Amino acid sequence: MGRYILRRLLSVVPTLIGVTLVIFLFQRLIPGDPAVAMLGEHATEENIARIREQFGLDRPAFLDRDALAEGDLAGFFDSQYSRYFGRLIRFDLGESIHRRIPVADTLRERFPATLELSLLSMFIALLIGIPAGIASASRRNTALDGVTMVGSLIGVSMPIFWLGIMEIMLFSVFLKWLPTGGRLPTGVEIQSITNLLLLDSLLTGNFTGFVAALKHIILPAVALATIPAAIITRMTRSSMLDVLQEDYIRTATAKGLSLKIVLFRHALKNAFLPVITIIGLQAGTLLAGAVLTETIFSWPGIGKWVYDSILGRDYPIVQGVTLLIAIIFLFINLVVDLSYAILDPRISLE
Amino acid sequence: MEETKFETNGVEDFAVREHRSLWIDAWRRLIANRTAMVGLIVVVLFLLSATFAHFFWDYEPKSDLDYGAKLLPPQLIATEEVDVHLFGTDKLGRDIFRRTIHGGWNSLRVGLVAVSISLLIGGILGLLTGFFESIHMNFWESFILMTLLGFALGMLPAWITRQFFQAILFALIGAGSVVFDRYLNGKKKHRLYIFPAVGAILSALSGLMIGPLVALVCGIVGLLIGFFLSKPVGGELFSNIVMRIMDIILSFPSYLLAIAIVAFLGPGLEKGMIAIGVVGIPVYARLARSAVMSVTQKEYVLASHAVGESHSRMLFRHVLPNILSPIIVQATMGLANAILSAAALGFLGLGAIPPEPEWGAMLGDSYKYLSSGAWWAVLFPGLAIMLSVLGFNLLGDGLRDALDPKIRL
Repeated sequence: MGRYILRRLLSVVPTLIGVTLVIFLFQRLIPGDPAVAMLGEHATEENIARIREQFGLDRPAFLDRDALAEGDLAGFFDSQYSRYFGRLIRFDLGESIHRRIPVADTLRERFPATLELSLLSMFIALLIGIPAGIASASRRNTALDGVTMVGSLIGVSMPIFWLGIMEIMLFSVFLKWLPTGGRLPTGVEIQSITNLLLLDSLLTGNFTGFVAALKHIILPAVALATIPAAIITRMTRSSMLDVLQEDYIRTATAKGLSLKIVLFRHALKNAFLPVITIIGLQAGTLLAGAVLTETIFSWPGIGKWVYDSILGRDYPIVQGVTLLIAIIFLFINLVVDLSYAILDPRISLE
Repeated sequence: MEETKFETNGVEDFAVREHRSLWIDAWRRLIANRTAMVGLIVVVLFLLSATFAHFFWDYEPKSDLDYGAKLLPPQLIATEEVDVHLFGTDKLGRDIFRRTIHGGWNSLRVGLVAVSISLLIGGILGLLTGFFESIHMNFWESFILMTLLGFALGMLPAWITRQFFQAILFALIGAGSVVFDRYLNGKKKHRLYIFPAVGAILSALSGLMIGPLVALVCGIVGLLIGFFLSKPVGGELFSNIVMRIMDIILSFPSYLLAIAIVAFLGPGLEKGMIAIGVVGIPVYARLARSAVMSVTQKEYVLASHAVGESHSRMLFRHVLPNILSPIIVQATMGLANAILSAAALGFLGLGAIPPEPEWGAMLGDSYKYLSSGAWWAVLFPGLAIMLSVLGFNLLGDGLRDALDPKIRL
């Protein structure tokens, strides 16, 4: 198993380099002169020069053959990409074009909001998806199963930005029960420890803060949880159905164990492996879905930030956030694969 | 040798059932499935309304403006003052029903183009990698692959020195490696010296025309490429390389990648189509590859291999028809996904450019005057997205059951 883990860990390295390459190549997609595109038509010479400098736009993209021809080996490797990669290794994601603040700083500041939203959404998705999947599988071909399956298909087909808007329409505009957006109302303070407001308010015993934070987070969290919940339901169901056909389940039923014990002790444990993979994959969906959900609910996380940056053509921010999400996604899948190897000894033997 | 006698008696009894093709069988299973039928009806309605609206119902988005009729709630019967507005009107007084129906055409276009891109590129990649991972390449296939590989790798020294012939040089080395492998057996140990040496020396010599440092770099690069080319690349390595590239695309959450690509390209429906299509390539490549690999283990493929059928015949007669069902299912669901992603892009202002009617963009627009309580401006475009996506998903789900009754998800 040690060798499998090592191999899997090493396999991340080329993918990671590939990811940086893709993100680097993004800026070559910008039509026209990138520096002008970033700053707009009326940019000053000085600003354009600054952007060229910052992105190394005067350098070639990958390798400098002219420098080599002149006998300059270091110059050969001094390119936009090598500079970009060198900065990345130092955790330098560049700085925002408009505000001139390091991207990494703002990222650190805004990420907890997205993390909190994603975690709560995943929690909701699991809370709905797993029981629904089990119930549906154990009562296969009943009305309950039918309703769950159609419901989960509707969930998969849901444009979450539309769901979010409809939620606001119903609960905020018409019923006026919940706020339309933001993370906290003005005037409510929560002492920050982890920057996850729900957790912080519980830790400091700030009950009003907790309720206020919950009221703000619940609508976006439900919208964001829809698709993962539906997918987890379907996966749990199909995986349970596979396992329920196994001989050992028949044995367990035949020896007179109750349905509850067969389902939860014998079936669920084995049915859970594929579900874990799906949960890992959904983590990526959540982070990407944050762009839409946060935009609708003015949630001050990285998703809303990306949206604002796209509108403002602040490319380093888009690059930085995409990179961060890709890396997180990559590592979640790594963890899923490794946990798979631990949970299922057959895998590492292959 | 004993002669084998075939006995045919009794077999005819089983052939009483009329002959039905696999597809007719699948069609019967599909129409027997109630949810799949709902999906099919929704999809057909969507296709018909979108195409009919595009070709027979004139709509000029640029001149569609009526401030006198702005934000009217749905109106089913015409009165003196107000026309019929089935879905109400938006902030500019445009009829939402009309725009929703016309928006279908854009969604349909995005879906078809994006899925075609991913299906074509991903399908071909998956077909080739899966096939050659299970079945050894023959001489000519290996020859073509290695020549192309040599040419591609040779582009690097060719670019550095601005000498195009270096690419051809390495293409020849790649081709030579295959010939060496095939016809000059017994000297297998030698190729580890010969090819890197040839690559290094020839590349360095031509690099010397530019400068000593260039020659050095070219020598090293030539050595490495020669080493890589010294043994013909088997299907497995080829497949590994392709799949590694697919893994890189897959390591981005799919529509985040599409959003990022369009963010840099600038908004536009066509750019959105391409971005969504590119992002979908790995899904089809992986699916086709694994389907091909399981089919090539089947007896009928082994048999056709054993009787010496050509690879292209095996691929097109035996493998391709048998991997179609998972691909059709995936393509149907892929249409649903593409429509959803396009709507998301439109909502973020990265898709169709206003005033072009597009569901996502319509939502993004109506979202801005949410507090006015104009629920109809939000409800109907979103409902159109959801229903069409749901239709394709239901159909895909039904197709999966119909085409392969064994699998279920």
